[in-house]
Amino acid sequence: MDRELLRRLHEEGDATARERLVARHLPLVRSLARRYAGRGEALEDIEQVGAIGLLKAIDRFELGRGVSLATFATPTVVGEIKRHFRDKGWAIRVPRALQELNARMSAGIDRLTSRLGRSPTVAEIALELKSTPEEVLEALEVGTAYTTLSLSGGPGGEEEADPLESLGEEDEEFARSEDRAALAPAMSRLPARERDILRMRFEEGLPQTQIAERVGLSQMHVSRLIRKALVAMRDDLA
Amino acid sequence: MSERIELTAPLDGDFGAVVRLIVGGISARVDLGFEEMDDLQLAIERLHAEAGGQERLTLDFDLSPGRVRVRLGPLLERGLADALQRGPVAGALTLKGVLDTLVDSYGVEEAADGRLFIRIVKLVNA
Repeated sequence: MDRELLRRLHEEGDATARERLVARHLPLVRSLARRYAGRGEALEDIEQVGAIGLLKAIDRFELGRGVSLATFATPTVVGEIKRHFRDKGWAIRVPRALQELNARMSAGIDRLTSRLGRSPTVAEIALELKSTPEEVLEALEVGTAYTTLSLSGGPGGEEEADPLESLGEEDEEFARSEDRAALAPAMSRLPARERDILRMRFEEGLPQTQIAERVGLSQMHVSRLIRKALVAMRDDLA
Repeated sequence: MSERIELTAPLDGDFGAVVRLIVGGISARVDLGFEEMDDLQLAIERLHAEAGGQERLTLDFDLSPGRVRVRLGPLLERGLADALQRGPVAGALTLKGVLDTLVDSYGVEEAADGRLFIRIVKLVNA
């Protein structure tokens, strides 16, 4: 089946064949991504990075090869995930226990939100994760610091925003004030998913829990994306 | 019973995490939910970022059962206060729009000596 789809993609340029190949091998990506869970990065993010590796492997696969796509794709997917961690690694040495607590936090918060029917308090999260409120706060901060760092991106990175046009001879204070009033130009440069999440949160007024349900992410992940998007927009204007 | 905590912090990015941790700790003491705590942290982060023209800012937390009130200032320029009083801009995400969503109320206070402060209030289970 894979070889037929690969043939259709590479010889006939059939884009639907690529989509089917991706769908068939996403379980492999998920399985590989899980190996890298618990390092302070959301599993959803690792899976997305792994999916990029899968796409690269599908596009680079040569039909004359005597190996299966799964065998060929595995090192590419793992390489992509490893590069992600190397490029966006922790800026400071974070104790492993805190990284692990951060990684467990997302599922814990979602579980509690569903059980309680509201956003849990820090004390409730600590109880659920057999931790202390202080450790929960530290672990949350660890995740925030990691995400903020990842914003800096390298030259040409996918999160790099185009520079704004010069503000010309405008009075500096006036310009800053205007920027504060409207972050819209920078918003248009955000990835579509982050734009959608900002609209849901700040235009529709949806709580994070509902946004998380709509977009299929954890509440903690939605929270990080909102923060990341606002910081990116601000940096874009600076 | 009401409690007060006052914190003066540099606006340098390195101290953002410290402020966020403290806001988290304070939120936990008044039993704000995770999402409410996140809203309050984000609101303060945004105001800190927008006040970036000055070196430091004082945050005066007033904790009462069911709510946290934070007074930030003094502001060295009017721009931030003006931005909060400006009307909505069609199709734009404004700082005012961000605060409208994140906190239960906010406003600009002008002290007798002319110094400007921003006040935000977050309620528990609003």
